[in-house]
Amino acid sequence: MTALYRLDSLRFGYENKPILDIDQFEIRENSITALLGSNGAGKSTLLKLLAFLESPQQGSIAFKGKTVGETELLSLRRKVGLVAQKPYLLQGTVFDNVALGLKFRAVSAETISQQVAEALEMAGIGLFADRAANELSGGEAQKVALARALALQPEVLLLDEPFTHLDQASIEELNQLISRFANIGERSVIFTTHDRVHASVLADEVMGLVSGRVVYAPLLNLFKGEVSEGLFKTGKININLPGDILFGKQVAIDPNEIVLSKQPLCPKGISFVEVEGRAIPLNSALTSSMRNSFQGRIVMIAEEKGRVRVTVEAGERFHVQITHQSLSELGLSLGEPVWVNFKSTTLQVL
Amino acid sequence: MDYFSHSLSVALELIFQFDPAVWQVVWTSLKISLMAIVVASSMAIPLGVLIALNEFAGKRFIQQILNTLMAMPTVVIGLFLYGLLSRRGALGDLGILYTPWAVVIGECLLILPIILNLTVVAIQSADKRLLPTLHGLGADRWQTMRLVLSETRFAIMAAVVTGFGRALGEVGAAMMLGGNIEGFTRTMTTAIALETSKGEFELGLALGLLLLSIAFLVNFFLQLLQRRAV
Repeated sequence: MTALYRLDSLRFGYENKPILDIDQFEIRENSITALLGSNGAGKSTLLKLLAFLESPQQGSIAFKGKTVGETELLSLRRKVGLVAQKPYLLQGTVFDNVALGLKFRAVSAETISQQVAEALEMAGIGLFADRAANELSGGEAQKVALARALALQPEVLLLDEPFTHLDQASIEELNQLISRFANIGERSVIFTTHDRVHASVLADEVMGLVSGRVVYAPLLNLFKGEVSEGLFKTGKININLPGDILFGKQVAIDPNEIVLSKQPLCPKGISFVEVEGRAIPLNSALTSSMRNSFQGRIVMIAEEKGRVRVTVEAGERFHVQITHQSLSELGLSLGEPVWVNFKSTTLQVL
Repeated sequence: MDYFSHSLSVALELIFQFDPAVWQVVWTSLKISLMAIVVASSMAIPLGVLIALNEFAGKRFIQQILNTLMAMPTVVIGLFLYGLLSRRGALGDLGILYTPWAVVIGECLLILPIILNLTVVAIQSADKRLLPTLHGLGADRWQTMRLVLSETRFAIMAAVVTGFGRALGEVGAAMMLGGNIEGFTRTMTTAIALETSKGEFELGLALGLLLLSIAFLVNFFLQLLQRRAV
């Protein structure tokens, strides 16, 4: 299946300050994708590239299998709808703002009225049409910007930190709206957030972004430090790295790649381990590749999206995802000592 | 002091008795300045939008030149155009020296860089989110220009009013190119200079007061519009 977006060797920055450095990155069609990252990670910049408002300085972006060139920018921009974190509303009424993109497309007045009314209704601001745009609150302006994008019936809806300024009720409404939009068919949603839980609840796929680089681990275990003599030193623990890594300032470990055990798997194993959500007898192949084992104590056990997240304090705080079955088979409980094990090859060093 | 207060009362009489000599000069002044502002604005505004919205080599240099031209002495423009429009000049055959058209051209050259530069500044000072918003909504080049103009219209109107004020108050080029011919090219400023030198201080003062009033009115309406836009 063709990817909706495919980014290859993409580099982008402002005034010689690098913002994005992405080797390869794909976003699936007809899905909800979350771009997860902290402030300054490059999420908004990436969204601008995906909205074709910026062009990569190096590398390429392909949309539905076709590499994007300067001449196609206008037609591609008209296929996507971007809602900025702090949207700009033009002078005039809410109706004027929501209708603007349709007027650019020379849509008939009748269709404009109909699509604007539908979009305002979808965004939950059906009665706002005649209000002056410059009299709206921040949250209301956000909804108008959302309606403005929805009115265009875009193939891809791009939302930059859409939940930041919303109250709980509005967050719930927006969650439903995003899900409904994605279910219309041939529609995709890409949103940025720094809220990992929100990302994992709403999105089909979560992509992490750290210092302009894409991380496939869900950013639960992201440690800062430095590489030295084959180790990543966080200041609290030393993590064994694959031999070919010489530089890096951050390391990410996918919580699904971490194995919990009652005894260390490195260098010598024991009888039971948790693999892919199941407790299974340990085999020698697994033991030999587990180059990192840290002893810690369970400080939190929580349910998340039908799985169990176990948080272990082992020098650094590790988050591990296991199944309910594994939880009972391993007999894990709060405060209990446990070993955190992972292969060095599963690490993403940034 | 008596001299000044007496002159002021005579000047006010001239204004409110609608002295034809006074109002003829005012009308000529307004006519020439309005023509200059229409011609200069129709060139400067679109050019300003193009300069502001596009990145190209030499853009900064152009803006530096425009800044310099904004402060160009009007007599230099007068001198330059006189050389072109006089009988022996390259454009002497047009025969427009000492006509209102020569003054219009002079004032155009004077205010074009002002309106152009202030238009560029007005657009560059607009909200940084404006262009990405328009592009994001799928605006093409012309739609973007139109909307940018619409969103910055009050700042651009301020640029036009500034140019109008400069044209109205200009004296050097009007004198050199218009020749200060009564009922034809005599503007408020050239008349003030002439009448005062002839000892007709009252008439000069009357025209000076009218000039100030017009400038005040224009700015008052501009502020009114700006307030309505907020």
